[in-house]
Amino acid sequence: MANAGRVSMRGIVKRHGSFTALHGIDLDIAPGEFFALLGPSGSGKTTTLRILAGLEPLDAGQVMLDGVDVTAREPGERDVAMVFQSYALYPHMTVYENIAFPLRMVGTAKGETDRAVKDAAAKVHIDHLLARRPGELSGGQQQRCALARAIVRKPRLFLLDEPLSNLDAKLRLETRVELRKLQRALGVTAVYVTHDQEEAMTIADRVAVFMDGRIVQVGRPQDIFARPATSVVAAFIGSPPMNLLPADLRDGELRVAGVPLPAPRMAGRDGPITLGVRPAALRIAERGLPARVYLVENLGDTTIVDLDVAGQVIKLRTEQAPNVREGDHVHVAFAPEAMHVFDPATGQRREG
Amino acid sequence: MALFLPALVVLIVTTSAPLVYLAWTSLERIDLSMPWLSGFAGAGNYLQMGADPRFWHSLWLTLIYTVSTVVLQVLLGLGLALLVLRIPKGQGILRVAAILPIVLAPVVVGLFWRTLVLAPDVGLVDVVTRALGLPSYNWLGDPKLALLSVIAIHTWQWTPFAFLVMLASLSSLPPDVFEAARIDRASAWQRFRYITLPLIRPAIVIVVIMRTMIALSAFAAIFAATGGGPGTATEILNLYAYRTSFSELNLGYGAALAMVLLAITLAVSFVMFRARRAR
Ligand SMILES: Nc1ncnc2c1ncn2[C@@H]1O[C@H](COP(=O)(O)OP(=O)(O)O)[C@@H](O)[C@H]1O
Ligand SMILES: [Mg+2]
Repeated sequence: MANAGRVSMRGIVKRHGSFTALHGIDLDIAPGEFFALLGPSGSGKTTTLRILAGLEPLDAGQVMLDGVDVTAREPGERDVAMVFQSYALYPHMTVYENIAFPLRMVGTAKGETDRAVKDAAAKVHIDHLLARRPGELSGGQQQRCALARAIVRKPRLFLLDEPLSNLDAKLRLETRVELRKLQRALGVTAVYVTHDQEEAMTIADRVAVFMDGRIVQVGRPQDIFARPATSVVAAFIGSPPMNLLPADLRDGELRVAGVPLPAPRMAGRDGPITLGVRPAALRIAERGLPARVYLVENLGDTTIVDLDVAGQVIKLRTEQAPNVREGDHVHVAFAPEAMHVFDPATGQRREG
Repeated sequence: MALFLPALVVLIVTTSAPLVYLAWTSLERIDLSMPWLSGFAGAGNYLQMGADPRFWHSLWLTLIYTVSTVVLQVLLGLGLALLVLRIPKGQGILRVAAILPIVLAPVVVGLFWRTLVLAPDVGLVDVVTRALGLPSYNWLGDPKLALLSVIAIHTWQWTPFAFLVMLASLSSLPPDVFEAARIDRASAWQRFRYITLPLIRPAIVIVVIMRTMIALSAFAAIFAATGGGPGTATEILNLYAYRTSFSELNLGYGAALAMVLLAITLAVSFVMFRARRAR
């Protein structure tokens, strides 16, 4: 296709006065990829997206689109479209005029514009609302209008800043799936900002995890889930996220809260470690770590059990209703393969 | 009811009663220079205007004065507001400075311009033009320039009002909409034309309505600066009515002229408010 949409960012630094919002971001996104920028609020996702769009001046670094340096180019010259978190619709224009705006600005012929607008509106199912103004639309309809305005011009790059965050839970799930289908159908590269790890993990081909203005891990969702690069990423991904416990490694033996456990393969050198175990990998057993049941949360098909292990709360997740009650004294166990080991000082993952 | 009665009486005595008296006077012939001719004239005063070239001249000046001052205030006020929005610091000081001309009494403004700014030889403008080697003009004494001068005075005093309203309106516009327009490939001019202007239209309309009504009945600044002269060069309808009543002491005809100005002002504001609501 004509528009490839390969993104490459090199050493992006952004400062606000003495505060550094981005400490040298490097990012490569392949054509046609659905790429998520994931991280907690304030970690620099929106700033990165705005730099990619050309809305935000940067202090250092380079932005390349399809091999061309666009760092100094105006947003309108980059052939990118954006869906804002606030939607940023033109309040005085009808839905039709909103969608037609990007075409009108470059003098596209009336007939061609008309066809493109109706086509885009049909793709997001708002073709019956074309005569309305944004103020007369529901949140979900406004969001679709913003989407239509973005796809109408067939850009090479599609930027979305938390596009689902203002929708209710049910609509969010439906739109998520639709968005993914739409992106596939259009074959356009999409960069998608979200703080919701579940959203990123389900929708994206690849994810970049942001923490405090840095990218701490890039990879496919399943790889990030299986091998989080740091304990911070581990504590951010999964619902509920990974349990992290202080542990001690000595002479091939692992001790958690004084209880000896078989050491995992990649344990490495002796000393204190941070042990990570996913809630779903925990089970209640005859032997293992002694724990007290703190809270049982029944979510219908799954149950979350909060357990107090030596003064620290960890979570267990199971599909079978566990036969425990609050206040019970139990033991929890997990397979050695389920263990993740992190350096307690740096937070880095330790591999065997 | 008893509680409101005093207020109602005061209101009627202070507003309606003078109007009724003015309307009544306009139907009489009261010329203090020829008191023996006084008596009821019916529509006589009004019919007389049709053949009064000085009336048509004053009407024409009123039109020029109103349209040009309102257009200048809107254009200059909007231009200044757009400029000031771009400066990162010191906007507060400019806002305060902008209030100064507004709070001055128009008569003070008229005198101030007449004695300090536009006076020959010692006036600020003359000093500057002569320093630049340009010829010296009698800004208020020359019939060709006097109208320009009173338009400039009114514009100087009231552009800050338009500026403040526009600035408030512009700074309340949502920034993300303009970012969306930049991404949607709109040039700076297109953003102004298709986003800024439509969004601040209500503010512009309000400024136009308010300033038109004030300009139609402008008086004090012109009176202080030129008194309507030289000759009738700056004699807008309001000044013609005043001069007829109080210089020429033709109270009946002066009252009729004032009634015509009142009718025009009411009609124009009615049409403008209708047009505003239509959109
Ligand atoms: N205009 C600004 N002035 C100062 N700090 C800012 C500005 N914009 C963003 N920041 C800061 O930069 C950091 C990153 O912001 P942002 O990219 O919006 O985070 P995210 O989208 O991941 O929530 C935040 O700490 C935020 O407070
Ligand atoms: Mg954000």
